[in-house]
Amino acid sequence: MAYAHQGYGQPQVDQNFLWQIFGRVDADRSGAISAKELQTALSNGTWTPFNPETVRLMIGMFDRDNSGTINFQEFQSLWKYITDWQNTFRSYDRDNSGTIDKNELKSALTSFGFNLSDRFYEILLRKYDRMGRASLSFDDFIQCCVVVQTLTGSFQQFDTNRNGWIDISYEQFLTLVFSLKS
Amino acid sequence: MAYPGGPPGGYQQYPGGAPPPQYGAPPPGGQPGYAGGYQQPGYGGQPGYGAAPGYGAPPGYGPPPGVDPNVYQWFLSVDRDRSGKISAQELQQALTNSNWSHFNEETCRLMIGMFDRDQSGQIDLNEFQALWTYIQQWKGVFDRYDQDRSGLIEAHELHTAFSQMGYNVSQSFINIIVIKFDRAARRGLKFDDFIQCCVMLKNLTDQFRARDTAMTGRIQVSYEDFMCMVLLNKPS
Repeated sequence: MAYAHQGYGQPQVDQNFLWQIFGRVDADRSGAISAKELQTALSNGTWTPFNPETVRLMIGMFDRDNSGTINFQEFQSLWKYITDWQNTFRSYDRDNSGTIDKNELKSALTSFGFNLSDRFYEILLRKYDRMGRASLSFDDFIQCCVVVQTLTGSFQQFDTNRNGWIDISYEQFLTLVFSLKS
Repeated sequence: MAYPGGPPGGYQQYPGGAPPPQYGAPPPGGQPGYAGGYQQPGYGGQPGYGAAPGYGAPPGYGPPPGVDPNVYQWFLSVDRDRSGKISAQELQQALTNSNWSHFNEETCRLMIGMFDRDQSGQIDLNEFQALWTYIQQWKGVFDRYDQDRSGLIEAHELHTAFSQMGYNVSQSFINIIVIKFDRAARRGLKFDDFIQCCVMLKNLTDQFRARDTAMTGRIQVSYEDFMCMVLLNKPS
């Protein structure tokens, strides 16, 4: 996973270091991390609980054996994913406010390749801003970006000639939305 | 995670955009008199069951004018932190399905979103009264279609329900829905899932119909219009 804007390589993370973190997150020492344990361990920069939807989203992404929990193997990929998001978040939080406002969100998603109007960014912000501050904290930012990516992917499956328009039947549309995982 | 490979060239910006979803619509065919005052143990807590122990509403200290006393009592018992407002979490604790499982988070958020007129993320007593009536009406709809009284709406019951509500969908779509909502692998939808599913179907159909002006059952949608349609109506 390369972010063009980062401009530097990810340093190789030491396995022992990760094992220590894994041990701390795995509070009940079961050998696997549950959604609850992950939520407790993650911080969004405010003193509020980490967005449970984002936690569910991430577990769903990295839980390869469908156990509902994250083992150490899966944790290593998850850790990299989260630190990459942290770097992304920091680099787009231009004013270092700890949150991403509308303009920062727009410049982030635009640089990821999405072409959307100001009006759409307002809708996005209203939908994912859980704090009602007109800006996104770290956890809400991840959820927002992942959803935009998922929906764009669904659209592209129908947009076979890549002209930005799709032709879709009623039931295809319903099936698409009801089958969304995030 | 890979970001979209290559530029999504040609995705035009859409100036108009989608209309907001129509929230707060009553359940289909919610006949007054059928659901009103219809008391079922286990469904949505019982009105008149009394306030939570220790809540200490003094006797004679009645509800504000215009509020049903039973609804008022129930509000007091749901509002655990006595803030005068009910959060999605408090609502979830208070609502149960017929098997005594709590309502799922999504349905609670959906309902709070529908009745939270002042956008506070919580509902006050008046909003709660409207929500209460809404749930009772849905209970009437649920019971009407749960013909075998299993406490679940099975695939064939869902098919009957949808076609009587005026939705023309195939059996294979019904099967997709049942698999999606059937969290406990019981081949049917619980009360909360049924509400969520019907509200989603209504909102999505409204969105679709608004664009299907020629009534052909097909629409052409631009990228951004599609994003709005789905974003505002997808689960969670």
